Amino acid sequence: MSSVLNSDQLVKTIKTRLQANEVEVQDMSGGCGQAFAVIIVSDIFKGKNKLTRHRMVNNALSEEISQIHAFTQKVFTTDEWEEQKRLYGSS
Amino acid sequence: MGLIEIQSKEKFSDLTSVKDKLIALYFHTPWASPCIQMNKVISTLADSPQNKHIDFLSINADNFPEISDLFDISAVPYFVLVKNGTILKELSGADPKEFASALEQLGGNEQEIETNQADSSVSKEKSSSVFDYVSSATNNQDAAPAAVALEEESPEQLKARLRKLTTAAPIMLFMKGTPSAPQCGFSRQLVAILREHQVRFGFFDILKDDTVRQGLKKFSDWPTYPQLYVGGNFQGGLDIIKESLSENEHFFETALVEANNTN
Repeated sequence: MSSVLNSDQLVKTIKTRLQANEVEVQDMSGGCGQAFAVIIVSDIFKGKNKLTRHRMVNNALSEEISQIHAFTQKVFTTDEWEEQKRLYGSS
Repeated sequence: MGLIEIQSKEKFSDLTSVKDKLIALYFHTPWASPCIQMNKVISTLADSPQNKHIDFLSINADNFPEISDLFDISAVPYFVLVKNGTILKELSGADPKEFASALEQLGGNEQEIETNQADSSVSKEKSSSVFDYVSSATNNQDAAPAAVALEEESPEQLKARLRKLTTAAPIMLFMKGTPSAPQCGFSRQLVAILREHQVRFGFFDILKDDTVRQGLKKFSDWPTYPQLYVGGNFQGGLDIIKESLSENEHFFETALVEANNTN
């Protein structure tokens, strides 16, 4: 019963549970699966303020989050993400 | 007269059957960090000549569960002021000023309050860096404003305690460690942000109290620390604060105003 999360699993989970169009997951713990930075682009966030959005993510990933030490998230709707890319250039 | 540490139930019965004297009972445990601070405060008050007409008894709640049960002690530090077998007042938590003023009220004597740092800091306006409101009240960086619960704390009691904690200061940071010694990168970052914006805030080290650590996650409906509260309202963790600031550099001021308007 491994409690180590891997990035690929996380991407799949997020895409499914949050209907995300784009997901970026970075394992910041050097492959240990203990710290993740995620960017989630999904239109389920439309019309919701930051706190509500982050809570949606927290609830969708509650089991995963409880297993890791550090979790940081940035959430965008499709439009907002386009705006980000426009402003900052695509990654 | 000095603080008397109760070593036996018989001694306790003897001392509390004294007539016509205000007796201050101080319940503590060695493991609750607010008690460590309060121990010094109580000793000082007990030694003060102004209070020589009051008997100060110190009871280790772990060692004397029956005495604690008698007074229904649910959290420490806890104070019970009795006279002639009647409980005049009870105080829960580590607020030296509250205790001192209760002594004054019921003891009927004028007295100086020794906790100078608490007094001056609470009322002074500090324009520069951080004013660690909570720590100054108990003269130590690691203190918490409210009591640490013993054994059974009902969900309602915990909720009440959390409400008190989250409103202990206009801006309250629940973090791992203390501002001067953060125990986690995210907590450290949030402290840095608050200081950068010259925001006055109170803090609570959740590593020191596991009941709060777990209870607050439910209370805030938020799984991680650090957690920031403004005007008793949960704002979010590091991510949200950073994002909010990037959209509105006056985020803290705006949140404070909003809190004042709705409260």
